[in-house]
Amino acid sequence: MRFNTDPEWLKKQAALEDNCFVSVGGLVLAVEDLQQQAQRVNPARAAFVNLLNLTRRENKFTWEQFSQKLDVDLAELIGIENDENYKPTPRTVTKIAQFIHVPAEKLFILSGLARARDIQFEEAALRFAARSQPVEELTTEEHEALKEYVKFLCER
Amino acid sequence: MKTLVHIIDNRTGQPVEAELFDEVTIEHFIETQQEWRPIVLKAARQLAAHGSRELVPQHFHWDWTTKAPELSVLANSFYGIRRDNKLQGLMKLQTVGRFCRCRLPEQVDKALVYVDYVEVAPWNLKTLAVALGEKPLYNAVGSRLIEAAVLKSKEEECKGRIGLHSLPITELFYRKVCGMTPVGRDSAKQNLLWLEYTPEQADNFLTGAR
Amino acid sequence: MADKRTMTLNLTDQEMRLLDDLSARKDVSKTALLRQALRLYQMVEERLNRGEKLFFEDEEKKKAELMVV
Repeated sequence: MRFNTDPEWLKKQAALEDNCFVSVGGLVLAVEDLQQQAQRVNPARAAFVNLLNLTRRENKFTWEQFSQKLDVDLAELIGIENDENYKPTPRTVTKIAQFIHVPAEKLFILSGLARARDIQFEEAALRFAARSQPVEELTTEEHEALKEYVKFLCER
Repeated sequence: MKTLVHIIDNRTGQPVEAELFDEVTIEHFIETQQEWRPIVLKAARQLAAHGSRELVPQHFHWDWTTKAPELSVLANSFYGIRRDNKLQGLMKLQTVGRFCRCRLPEQVDKALVYVDYVEVAPWNLKTLAVALGEKPLYNAVGSRLIEAAVLKSKEEECKGRIGLHSLPITELFYRKVCGMTPVGRDSAKQNLLWLEYTPEQADNFLTGAR
Repeated sequence: MADKRTMTLNLTDQEMRLLDDLSARKDVSKTALLRQALRLYQMVEERLNRGEKLFFEDEEKKKAELMVV
């Protein structure tokens, strides 16, 4: 692509663009909705927390050992585990994805950093979230659920 | 693809280098949510609170992260402009799809590249920056993105033809600054105004001959 | 732009006529048209894989679903 390098063209465009609003895309909410717009809660957040928790327990790590293994702040992992509104950094989510060997963009959606409009993806996340219980040792069913879910994330 | 383009730094009025690239990733989308969206919302609330409802950006709640699945679709092309290690603008084009056909009588049904989404960082938009008591930082980011759309159209052998649906608040930019021809309101897209380039208009935009 | 590779394509007379006709109508080369067709196919497939359906709608707003193989 060969872009215009003439500074006069650029200055002329800038002068014309100066008072303009620039965007393209659909109209959405009315102004009245501005005050009511609430933080969207990602329904797949429970799946993300469970994925993290089951992975840690399967490897028999404490939270501290897990954070060291992942090379992320312990505070971030605790935040993810305990605060459903906590937004992890993209770096942390990428590190978790690398450890579990799943595509990072899938975990961005699960963690709430990105949004999906994929019905099957959301349903699978909710099914996975419902299949695990908070006890120390992974049950056989939890182990199977974890394996299946990681496989699902990698295949799509 | 990464290439250096110039935009205008409003602090000096002089051209400065920025990077225009097409390898847009979900991390860029997350950046818009974390860096742009809070400022857009804050400015929108200020404008609404001061009775300037007609100036409230009509895209204030967009979420680029919902487009993450579209990154791997070949019919889509994404472009970003970066300076100061920050995204200054983002664009999504479609080369195939229901809107990728001309409507102007002289070129009806011919292929065009559809400009699906364009957003310029809020600190570069005068209306939003002023609402927050600031001055806009960079200028001509929108023009560079439209320029990229026209060049992509030429790459796709569509001869520079592009089309888009304009938000009411942005009609001035596409009609006057870009010189696109308004064709009519589209009931298939929220009655937004459809605008289009002929190959001649596209070339005029690229060269500044208008 | 990404590197390109070349392939040979065998088409029937009917398919070739269709390709000629569409490329003239769209004012793009035959190669460009086939590349667009491939992208359109992928776009449809991706959405079908996400559980969506593809419909054509006539003026009376009656919908008929398109099955894509």
